Amino acid sequence: MNRYQIKIRFLEQELVSIEDFSFESGEITILFGESGIGKTLISQTIFGLVDPHDLQITVNGESYFRYVRSQKVRRLQQNGFFVFQEPSSHFNPLMTIEEQLNEGSLTRAENKREILEALWRKPYRSHIHPLLRVYPKPFRPSGGEKQRFLLAMALMKIQQLNDEQQHLFVFDEPTGSLDDRYRNIFLEELFRRYQKKSFTILLITHDYSMISEIEKNHKKLLPKIRFKELRRVSDTRVELFDFKAEIYTSWLNNQRAAARKKVIEGEKPVLKVNPTFSVFNKQFALYPDSNSKDPAELIVRRGELVYLKAPSGMGKTTLAKIITGLQKAESVRFELAGMAFNEKTPQKIWRKQIWGRRLSMVFQHADEALNLQAKVRDVFKGLPGLGKSGNEQIKKYLREIFDETVDGQFLNKKIALLSGGQKQRLNLLRALLLHPDLIILDEPLNGLDFNSIRKVIEMIREKMRRGSGILLISHNEEIFDRIVPEESCF
Amino acid sequence: MKFAEKIIEALKKRIVPLYGKIRNGTVGQIRRLELLTIRWSRNSARVWLIAWILGLLLLWLWDFLFLNDPERRLLELAFVHSMFIASLVVALTFLLAWATTLLFQTLEDRRQTTALNVLIFLTNFIRSVPQIIGVLLGYVWITFLMERGSLETTLAIMLLMSVFLSLFIFLEVVDMLRERIAYFRQLDFYNAMRVCGISEWRIINYDILWKNSRTHILNKMIAVFSSAIFLQCSVDFIISVGLSTRVSSVNLPVTLGSLLANIDSKQDILAIGYSLTHPDYLPNLLFLHLQGISVAFVIVFTLFSLFKITNALAERFKL
Repeated sequence: MNRYQIKIRFLEQELVSIEDFSFESGEITILFGESGIGKTLISQTIFGLVDPHDLQITVNGESYFRYVRSQKVRRLQQNGFFVFQEPSSHFNPLMTIEEQLNEGSLTRAENKREILEALWRKPYRSHIHPLLRVYPKPFRPSGGEKQRFLLAMALMKIQQLNDEQQHLFVFDEPTGSLDDRYRNIFLEELFRRYQKKSFTILLITHDYSMISEIEKNHKKLLPKIRFKELRRVSDTRVELFDFKAEIYTSWLNNQRAAARKKVIEGEKPVLKVNPTFSVFNKQFALYPDSNSKDPAELIVRRGELVYLKAPSGMGKTTLAKIITGLQKAESVRFELAGMAFNEKTPQKIWRKQIWGRRLSMVFQHADEALNLQAKVRDVFKGLPGLGKSGNEQIKKYLREIFDETVDGQFLNKKIALLSGGQKQRLNLLRALLLHPDLIILDEPLNGLDFNSIRKVIEMIREKMRRGSGILLISHNEEIFDRIVPEESCF
Repeated sequence: MKFAEKIIEALKKRIVPLYGKIRNGTVGQIRRLELLTIRWSRNSARVWLIAWILGLLLLWLWDFLFLNDPERRLLELAFVHSMFIASLVVALTFLLAWATTLLFQTLEDRRQTTALNVLIFLTNFIRSVPQIIGVLLGYVWITFLMERGSLETTLAIMLLMSVFLSLFIFLEVVDMLRERIAYFRQLDFYNAMRVCGISEWRIINYDILWKNSRTHILNKMIAVFSSAIFLQCSVDFIISVGLSTRVSSVNLPVTLGSLLANIDSKQDILAIGYSLTHPDYLPNLLFLHLQGISVAFVIVFTLFSLFKITNALAERFKL
């Protein structure tokens, strides 16, 4: 058993502290928790990767400087591997990917080609080899490709591992840039190696649908897998709890029936978008399902949830921005709350008649969608109909979605100091408190823990019950596929 | 052989832990020093503000003890006038810059191109005039009004001086405000708030300018205060030769610049050069030549302290 007591302070201010962060050696620990709660910081501290500048860190009572120099950490680094959340931050832009795959201890790795082919499921010569000569840049190769190279490096290290060596393999959001297919391929490759030779894995993720995948295809490994969740117990203190996978799966299974009953039919649509539109000199079309050859109108009725699906970069958010009047299209036609819009409609129409009254939207990155310098209570100031809410009223709004004690101190907290999950909840609450005809939700479950996901889904349902139409954009297909009926997917 | 091994073993037992202690102790001290440096850099703006106030107080105390009464009163009056004008310039500059920025914003949003082009022409015209020339022309106008007798009170003259100074400084602030607004308008939070029905007036004034730019604005205003003192002193010094037969710097309200241009102060300043070649004359600077030295000290020390404060703020808030 690996046990850690970690305290991280910035000057006099405590950032995060955990009394008991423990995981079993030779087992797979899958760690959930809302974004920004400290999962990455804690795991990087354990692996000795945190830049201690301005920070005062203690690990098991001793200073971080001493901990990093200890034999244990050196062995962890030597024999293990840390897959970073953001693959770009791992790669050196001045070396080709091939050079980096042959650097340090990886030079001795065997079967590199097989590992790469396994993660790509495509021929090496035509699909992988050309990428190896590339110097990594922010957009080249793609995020998913960089992530797979990083995972390949980890698999190479696993191959070199001896049974007796002290080691740790940390995967921080290893599938964040991968679609479900490649995520499942990676899990299959990782677990196949684990079955041959047990090693210690700490896998950090927000992706609860991984539970379903494991239950479906890797059931044999379940005794060796521990699901844990990091939760906040006070402003800076976090604790590690066991997470029961059944809670998620049974909740998910109950969703199907609940969603189908609630669909209201025969209502006049709040949004009707013509099947084709063009923007950035590209023509886009809306299809009712992936097998359909004929484009169809996108229709959102009152009390209905419509799910817009497409691979990343296919224009989902662009369409949302066109509907909200934030992006000019070259040609588009749609009706919103009984008003007709096209590419020539001036923005002042949205400003005067639409925004906040007939339409609101939740942007996908809470960090960018909120004013980080403002205080929590400032988020509600200026909202139509809610702008003059007093502190007590604001606390009431916040309690709808926050577990934490919502007191005066929380109201006056700077948004920049909130965790990613708290920011996302605030981002959602701002739009969901309004009562417009249409609400557009762009990746509403980003960075949320399971408890918050449940609350958000309930809030979305409540908005539908009160007559708002919802247009949803999300890659979290497992949850929304259960909630949204097939005929409402585009 | 065994004896040698024993000695090596004993040395290892004693030296290795000692080395560890020294190393850890050194690392600890370096860390402590680092924390002290961080604290100093976080507080250096406050320290320089205190140093500036203390320096001026110390000077006033010295002058109170060793400078004769009429000259001291003149120096106090010059200081008060200069600070009053600089403060007025800060207030006027801010108001003018804020109003112009909002006007730019409104015209751009409403796509009123003709009005926008006129505004751009006017601001570019002001921009094309060097600050010192512009302020000098302003002083010429003040002289003209004084000769006609339509400008009599000291307050009115100082007000008009402030107006001319701020007219040739405010565009620096406009540029900064517009740049801040343009930067934040590209971010998602501007659109996310608009789509939720929050007015642009509130987003620009509260969320962008107040919540995200007030440190930038404060820093710029301190710089404007320095610029006002510097411009004022330069112009007052230049016009000490006289503006017309009837109006000269003598008729204008006494300021630090005009006091520095005074013949007595000039001699005091020249005494600094003399004392460089005659070091035994140095103590006289602190007693015989106090007026000029005090004025020069106030100007230089104020500009230097303000420079350090703005630098420290910029460093602390990574502006």
